[in-house]
Amino acid sequence: MSIDKTKYDALVVGGGIAGQEAALSLADMDYKVLLVEKDLSIGGKMIHLSKVFPTLDCAACITTPKMSETARHPNINLLLNTNILEIEKDNGIFSIALTIRPKYVKEDLCTGCQLCEWVCPVIVDDGFNNNMVGRKAISIAFNLANPKVAAIDMNHCIKCKKCEIACVPKAIDYSMQPQNISIETKTVIISTGFNLFKPENKPQYGYGKYPNVIDAMQMDRLIAPTRPYNSVVRPGDGKIPDKIAYVLCTGSRDTSIENAIGCSVDCANNPICSQICCMYSIKQAQLLMGALPLADITIYYMDIRAFGKGYEEFYQQAKGMGVSFIKGKIAKITQKDHNSGDLILRYEDVTTGTLKEAKHDLVVLSVGVLPNNEIAKVFTNQKLELDDQRFIKQVDELLSPSLTSIEGVFVAGTAAGPKDIPDSILSAGSAASEAASYINNI
Amino acid sequence: MKQRIGVYICHCGGNISDYVDVEQLGKLMAKENGVLISKNVMFACSDSTQKEIEQDIEENKLDSIVVASCSPKLHTHTFRNVAIRAGLNPYNYTQVNIREQCSWAHSDKPMDATIKAYGLIRAGINRVSYSEVLESLEISAQKVVAIIGAGVAGMRAAVDLARMDNQVYLIEKGNTVGGHVAQAGRLFPTNENGKEVVDRLYQRIRQQSNITLFTNATLEKVSGSIGNFWIEVKLGSEELKLNVGSVLVTTGFDFYDPKEGEFGYRLSDRVITLPDFNKMVENSKGKLIHNGKSVKSVAYIYCVGNRQSKGENRYCSRQCCTAAIHSSLHVHEKFEDMTAYHLFRDIRTYGKQELLYQQSSKNGDIYIRFEEKEPPVVELKNGNPTIKVKDYLTTKRELTLDTDLVVLVTGMVPRTDSNSVSSKLKIPIGIDRFFNEIHPKLKPVETVIKGVYIGGACQGPKNINESVQSALSGAAKINATLKSGNINLEPIIARVNADSCLWCGKCAEVCEYDAISSIANGGKLIAEVNKATCKGCGICAPTCPSNAIELAQFTDNEIESMIDGLMSKAEISPRVESQQNNQKAGVQSLAGYPKIWRTIANALEGNTLTIPQIAEKIDQEASLVTWHLMTMNRYGFVESAGLNDNEDYFMYKLKK
Ligand SMILES: Cc1cc2nc3c(=O)[nH]c(=O)nc-3n(C[C@H](O)[C@H](O)[C@H](O)COP(=O)(O)OP(=O)(O)OC[C@H]3O[C@@H](n4cnc5c(N)ncnc54)[C@H](O)[C@@H]3O)c2cc1C
Ligand SMILES: Cc1cc2nc3c(=O)[nH]c(=O)nc-3n(C[C@H](O)[C@H](O)[C@H](O)COP(=O)(O)OP(=O)(O)OC[C@H]3O[C@@H](n4cnc5c(N)ncnc54)[C@H](O)[C@@H]3O)c2cc1C
Ligand code: SF4
Ligand code: SF4
Ligand code: SF4
Repeated sequence: MSIDKTKYDALVVGGGIAGQEAALSLADMDYKVLLVEKDLSIGGKMIHLSKVFPTLDCAACITTPKMSETARHPNINLLLNTNILEIEKDNGIFSIALTIRPKYVKEDLCTGCQLCEWVCPVIVDDGFNNNMVGRKAISIAFNLANPKVAAIDMNHCIKCKKCEIACVPKAIDYSMQPQNISIETKTVIISTGFNLFKPENKPQYGYGKYPNVIDAMQMDRLIAPTRPYNSVVRPGDGKIPDKIAYVLCTGSRDTSIENAIGCSVDCANNPICSQICCMYSIKQAQLLMGALPLADITIYYMDIRAFGKGYEEFYQQAKGMGVSFIKGKIAKITQKDHNSGDLILRYEDVTTGTLKEAKHDLVVLSVGVLPNNEIAKVFTNQKLELDDQRFIKQVDELLSPSLTSIEGVFVAGTAAGPKDIPDSILSAGSAASEAASYINNI
Repeated sequence: MKQRIGVYICHCGGNISDYVDVEQLGKLMAKENGVLISKNVMFACSDSTQKEIEQDIEENKLDSIVVASCSPKLHTHTFRNVAIRAGLNPYNYTQVNIREQCSWAHSDKPMDATIKAYGLIRAGINRVSYSEVLESLEISAQKVVAIIGAGVAGMRAAVDLARMDNQVYLIEKGNTVGGHVAQAGRLFPTNENGKEVVDRLYQRIRQQSNITLFTNATLEKVSGSIGNFWIEVKLGSEELKLNVGSVLVTTGFDFYDPKEGEFGYRLSDRVITLPDFNKMVENSKGKLIHNGKSVKSVAYIYCVGNRQSKGENRYCSRQCCTAAIHSSLHVHEKFEDMTAYHLFRDIRTYGKQELLYQQSSKNGDIYIRFEEKEPPVVELKNGNPTIKVKDYLTTKRELTLDTDLVVLVTGMVPRTDSNSVSSKLKIPIGIDRFFNEIHPKLKPVETVIKGVYIGGACQGPKNINESVQSALSGAAKINATLKSGNINLEPIIARVNADSCLWCGKCAEVCEYDAISSIANGGKLIAEVNKATCKGCGICAPTCPSNAIELAQFTDNEIESMIDGLMSKAEISPRVESQQNNQKAGVQSLAGYPKIWRTIANALEGNTLTIPQIAEKIDQEASLVTWHLMTMNRYGFVESAGLNDNEDYFMYKLKK
């Protein structure tokens, strides 16, 4: 345990695309940055994605170099698997208490060879692939993880020691303990991203009940180059789908969500629009047309919000490729026949004003963006205010979009509200500019 | 000639290897002249592969490397840095693009894609074997920034750049600052007043002694390059020449100006645009009055001049839906008994702006949806507008609306003078005719001209918050570049052979960047290249009659050897399925694994089955079997055995 408080210019909380961009921008200006990520690797949601609209670049190809640059930058220190316990502000300086959770694998020794993973007999859900497949109790978070180091899931490990025996550099250490450290910094950038709507909270859509109702993050995994299956097939029975439906605005623009699964306050009614789901659905539809040329794809929507640079053109392109767009609100999804696993969508066709039914063999719920505001709780002697939707509040939205209610604390990316990747990156650059101006004038 | 070349051929996680037989190419390249190592890698850009290449360079003393993966636009710097970290000169590296140019372009013809990749990689190897050691050019840079356009974007960036200790020249062609926002009344989403917002910003500019604001200033000419641009500005009769390190362009947009007769525009004073309507709302008190008449009903027609699938402006202007709805809310709040009809295509109140839409619906505003193919028609009788529209929200019912005013929700178009700005600064224009960034995610505020950045609505429609964020991103990038006072430039520039140059001046004539001038040398004149201005475009090289000017990294040797490489005949054999997937697995036993794995393995013993067939055989849910079978597949216990007869399921077999 180190008692010596390391001093930084900036602490960046969250290593998604926004956090990486903010950290890199500050580091390029010669500020010393500590980037703290709660997961095993940086990368955020973006590293899960297949290709990204509107340019259809492969997400990994854009994120991995950024991750690598972040990890290597001489002005950036990276702490993974780390929680922030407390942030206290005194005389303009933030004191931060952190705890690094043990991976049970010594980072400096692990070579990422995965020999341990091959021998481990315990199978657990693979969170990186949204639980559509299993992985081992010891594993590397995902292929492109940075750093590429194994970690043991102690909740499932049976201490059979097979991995310890297999590991050539002797990196496994079951006795590792959490490590508490504290640091000091002049500014804090919050880039903790967003939570996805949990579709179980919309029970009429049958997610969790019918295996061929999936959410859009699962679909992005299915079409990614690092996909969990060898091809795009249904998780229900491995069938190659040929009639796929998208249900837009699932959990967004909806004040009738009842919080069926009893999670925190931030997953019930969500009146706002999530800003990304129209576009990512159109993207997935285009990619599916490429992967499954024979499949019919129908997008059920309320409004198509293709507003960014090149987005309307992208939408028109999807129409031109033969994706069907139906303005209609889905009332209910049922699986009539257990054997076929096919689904019946009951919906109101807005243009004709009639109630209709359609059969699809795979349904993708285009789930929306919910706030991730846990970080607000760790500020002990200051209040990090939230807005009405419980995102981190931007106190001068028009002229200083990154300012929060605490002087010296800035917000970047989706922590402040729904955003796509280009907008998240711009907001991170803006946070870096405001933070640098602030540090320079303390 | 290089003798210790390392070649890395990337799978790109299937992006390349699904079509190009990278494994075979890897083996073939190992036999090429000078190649010491030839490897296949899953993701060349991943951190672990980067480390592997570094290690190879160090341990095997490689004298050059070739990476065959994606476009050099993406990763040139990634691999140059790999070389630098391993102690190799970064210019002894060549990138070969076998993704965009092979696998993606020829996904229908995998064999041809492989043959093409073979030629390209050989060309890369040949080229790298002639590569020279080059050192980047270090130049000193002015910590001074010119910002063109003092709208909110430019003003806000000026404040931060100044706070980060840069000298700022803010150059505005109008006589006031604030751009369109200065003219605006109440703004979404904060309900602040446009003029007040601009005043607040102006006060912040006043506080910074290192910002110089020029109004009524015309941008005349720009020369020089990053670190040392010369900006010539005309202020009335006065001419200024400013020496700056970097330029931020924030020239904003124009309102779309509807054509005469477009929805009755200019044919009746009761058809007006949204910006004009907003002014009217702002200036009216108690009652909404237009040309002396009280207004009780308003029809808003959306997307005017936008989303024209066949017209000039295909894009969506992003902020006009919200702007129109916000106006309607303002009208509702300020005046009594108003009726509002919104004739829209899609309501794009994305994000939190959705709340405004909900409020407007609660206020009783009426929403009518039309499609582009059947737009509303505005008929005028004695100047009184009547709108005929088919409502796609109610079974395409034909509606006739008589309203006091028709408001055309006009979007954003590029500034009429943006061509002149772009040609002075050499900023590319996109298909939407706004200024273009290099890449929306990798370099969203950078232009192809180093040191010239774009921010705000000149890059494409944006609201204030978004305009400010992009301008501040530009400020952050500029500050990082200028901070140290030194900039490293690419050494890929033209160079002159003093012996053969006869100074005919042909090269100087064709150089678009005025980088070539003459200089006395050994009793004669020869051409000289300004290292900071030369962009390395190479246009000078082929024009020289005495072959005296060439481009580093594109010398005749390099280009000719590449052609040889491309012409070489490929001996590619048909693809054999790769063995690389998890060879280790075959010998593993299933002992200790979940019981269902053994049940599935038993069912597959001597069989190839689909998942429903396995499920039936072992009497388990197909979804559970999918999960386990896919996991077994991942860890190498089973593998796919192709499609079934109906071609709707894959079959699986045990992996031996
Ligand atoms: C299915 C789907 C498809 C999409 N497709 C596209 C697309 O094609 N194009 C596009 O532009 N956008 C797309 N998006 C949107 C894109 O994912 C987001 O814009 C982007 O990920 C936002 O980045 P971020 O850094 O703000 O947040 P995140 O990616 O959520 O990153 C936040 C990071 O912070 C970490 N973190 C959170 N809390 C803490 C804490 N308390 N302490 C430490 N660390 C913490 C998280 O672990 C995570 O690493 C898609 C989104 C989805 C859901
Ligand atoms: C009808 C309407 C209503 C709107 N309402 C809102 C709202 O309520 N809230 C909101 O957030 N956004 C709103 N917007 C968007 C908002 O107007 C823009 O986001 C904002 O004006 C963009 O700022 P900018 O600085 O990029 O551009 P501009 O405002 O266009 O400013 C550009 C500046 O550059 C100067 N300039 C141009 N060319 C040159 C040159 N060659 N040399 C020197 N100077 C030059 C111009 O004179 C001008 O001062 C609205 C837009 C419209 C069309
Ligand atoms: S000790 Fe734990 S992690 Fe290691 S092989 Fe056994 S179960 Fe897996
Ligand atoms: S972006 Fe589209 S799908 Fe997502 S909430 Fe908004 S309107 Fe619905
Ligand atoms: S923002 Fe709305 S009104 Fe403006 S172009 Fe887009 S869809 Fe049309």
